[in-house]
Amino acid sequence: MKRKLLGIIDATSYQEDLEDLLIHRSLAALPFSGRYRVIDFVLSSMVNSGIRSVAIFPKMQYRSLMDHLGSGKNWDLNRKRDGLFFFPSPIVDNHENRIGSFDLFAANMDYFYRSTQEYAIISNCYTIFNMDFKPLLESHIHSECDITEVHLKDGGSMELYLVKTSFLIELIKSRHLTGYTCMRDVVRDPQSYYQVCHYLYDGFSVMIDSIQTYFQTSMNLLQPEVWKKLFLKEQPILTKVKDEPPTKYIKGSSVKNSMIANGCQICGTVENSIIARGVIIGKGAVVRNSIIMQKCVIEEDCYLDSVIADKDVKVEAGVHLSGTVQAPLVVRKGTKQGALMNS
Amino acid sequence: MEKKKCVAMLLAGGKGSRLNVLTRDLAKPAVPFGGKYRIIDFTLSNCSNSGIDTVGVLTQYQPLLLNSYIGIGSTWDLDRKNGGVTVLPPYSESSEVKWYTGTASAIYQNLNYLRQYQPDYVLILSGDHIYKMNYETMLEYHIEKRADVSISVIEVPWIEASRFGIMNTNEELRITEFEEKPANPKSNLASMGIYIFSWNILKEYLEMDARNPDSSHDFGKDVLPLLLEQKKKLFAYPFKGYWKDVGTVQSLWEANMDLLKEDCELDLFDSSWKIYSVNPNQPPQYISPNASVSESLINEGCTIEGEIDHSVLFQGVDVGKGSLIKDSVIMPDSIIGEDCYIEKAIVPCDVTIPDGTVIRSLEDEIILVTNDMLSGLKPTVKQS
Repeated sequence: MKRKLLGIIDATSYQEDLEDLLIHRSLAALPFSGRYRVIDFVLSSMVNSGIRSVAIFPKMQYRSLMDHLGSGKNWDLNRKRDGLFFFPSPIVDNHENRIGSFDLFAANMDYFYRSTQEYAIISNCYTIFNMDFKPLLESHIHSECDITEVHLKDGGSMELYLVKTSFLIELIKSRHLTGYTCMRDVVRDPQSYYQVCHYLYDGFSVMIDSIQTYFQTSMNLLQPEVWKKLFLKEQPILTKVKDEPPTKYIKGSSVKNSMIANGCQICGTVENSIIARGVIIGKGAVVRNSIIMQKCVIEEDCYLDSVIADKDVKVEAGVHLSGTVQAPLVVRKGTKQGALMNS
Repeated sequence: MEKKKCVAMLLAGGKGSRLNVLTRDLAKPAVPFGGKYRIIDFTLSNCSNSGIDTVGVLTQYQPLLLNSYIGIGSTWDLDRKNGGVTVLPPYSESSEVKWYTGTASAIYQNLNYLRQYQPDYVLILSGDHIYKMNYETMLEYHIEKRADVSISVIEVPWIEASRFGIMNTNEELRITEFEEKPANPKSNLASMGIYIFSWNILKEYLEMDARNPDSSHDFGKDVLPLLLEQKKKLFAYPFKGYWKDVGTVQSLWEANMDLLKEDCELDLFDSSWKIYSVNPNQPPQYISPNASVSESLINEGCTIEGEIDHSVLFQGVDVGKGSLIKDSVIMPDSIIGEDCYIEKAIVPCDVTIPDGTVIRSLEDEIILVTNDMLSGLKPTVKQS
């Protein structure tokens, strides 16, 4: 496998609908499920499938993504040969979501020329899934197709493509002749000269493209039958290690139906919520149906319902904040919610 | 090799026989503690946080797990180009295999390791204790006192002083006498097993001790008394803060319970002095709609469907519906079935407790659950 497959992650994607959460970060670095970033899912799937060379094509606001991935050590990708590669995009104004833009790849052709892996998998960066790519590769080799596109069981494309690396190089080189700008163009052209196969994936998979899907997918993970499909013991989702202590439940705390990451100190009540690493929930505070990101401080006697609190948010004592399940209230990163502002 | 001002030698070969089954397959420093750590994490993190980047770890008893756990030391930021962590097992010479017969012989046999770094000072540590300490401050004290040896001491309750190695000092804290477990202690300053030696003194006295056929080659029993006899300058370095020897099932349980206090002296949440440990890569813990958790420490990867009261749960523990865990420590990956009752117990790693099991002490003693017990061999466990 390690000689066979290249991993290519297009991390240039942006979703207008997630704007409030993407001011300081790219979509790939969006925190998810208490301790992860959305890119962890595809990256871990690749590493767990034996991929040893991963190229990431990030775009602006990639500081938080670079900080998260570092040398690739947490994914065992800090290697002498192969490993993790970054190719920041020189194209600034491209806001279209074209997964695997050939222009982007063309700017870094040497990577494709130098790689010895025979096949390449091209993926978006915002799908929450945990997939073993080995059967996909086998199916692709067996079918002798030019392109294998992964589809969900209900038919939608997962924007995940498997091709021969040499074929990808041809597609990139001939992009001006063919008019194809990205993988999607190739597979969607009914007149295409190439043979496209579909591979059906029936595991858990959601593309995060709006606040609603983000919120709903997060909440769905509170059902054990759902999270058991995503968090598999043999295929762990790897992420940046924070060295937080275990979570401390202090006298008087009450926690029900919630996912809690490490390093939290909980005095209050938490229900149907996802609490990320290092969050403090004060005495008498109530947090319901909410997503509280890393290092937030919810002070005493607050009441939060259907809220997404981005990283480092401080909610001062006694403040009430609520949204609805359809339209959760998003509190931007690093802001302070004071009692005065709210009255 | 680059010269180092101070090199640490961590004695991690202890068997810890009083920990019973917990140390059957692993050395005492590798015993799990505090919901996510192993005992040795505290000493290694202290080294890293104190700016000591060269640490020799002396292993002997059941070293497999400890060796792979330490790895190249990257967890504690001790994977360095110069120095870093080096595991030092006993080795054979042309004539014989030299086991480490005592703490002093373990260091003596690795003098060549120390010589590589030409250190000015050597910090000798044991991997058996739970505490946070800045060794750099102790080194400054050692230098300021122009000491030959500095020994870190902690005030223990007078009533317990006869259980420790006690240092009698003058008013400048110069050690005048050392008594191992004295019946009538003259002081309550107990040795914490942390020594800083000036390199020349260490070398000289270890060589002297090695030539003595009557010596048991132990720092406390042989080397320190010899240094005192020869009027060397030994100073006590008073340490204030949390320190606990977790050598018995009872003390290991107590130290875990200490972490649950609201004003716990050992602050695991202090980000300026983090305790590092190897990350198990598990998802966040899941607390079910019917669960209840109070006054507890719970690590990632746990699934809680029962009631957890005043307990410490390590990563990957599952607690089934209707079960109650009270005043207990559940080590990694153990599965507690449904409708169990566990009180004042330590459940080791990878143990499966069947549905409906009741584990509670008839006396006021901590139960260490073993697989033998679970198959009904011991009367302390009542299975309903």
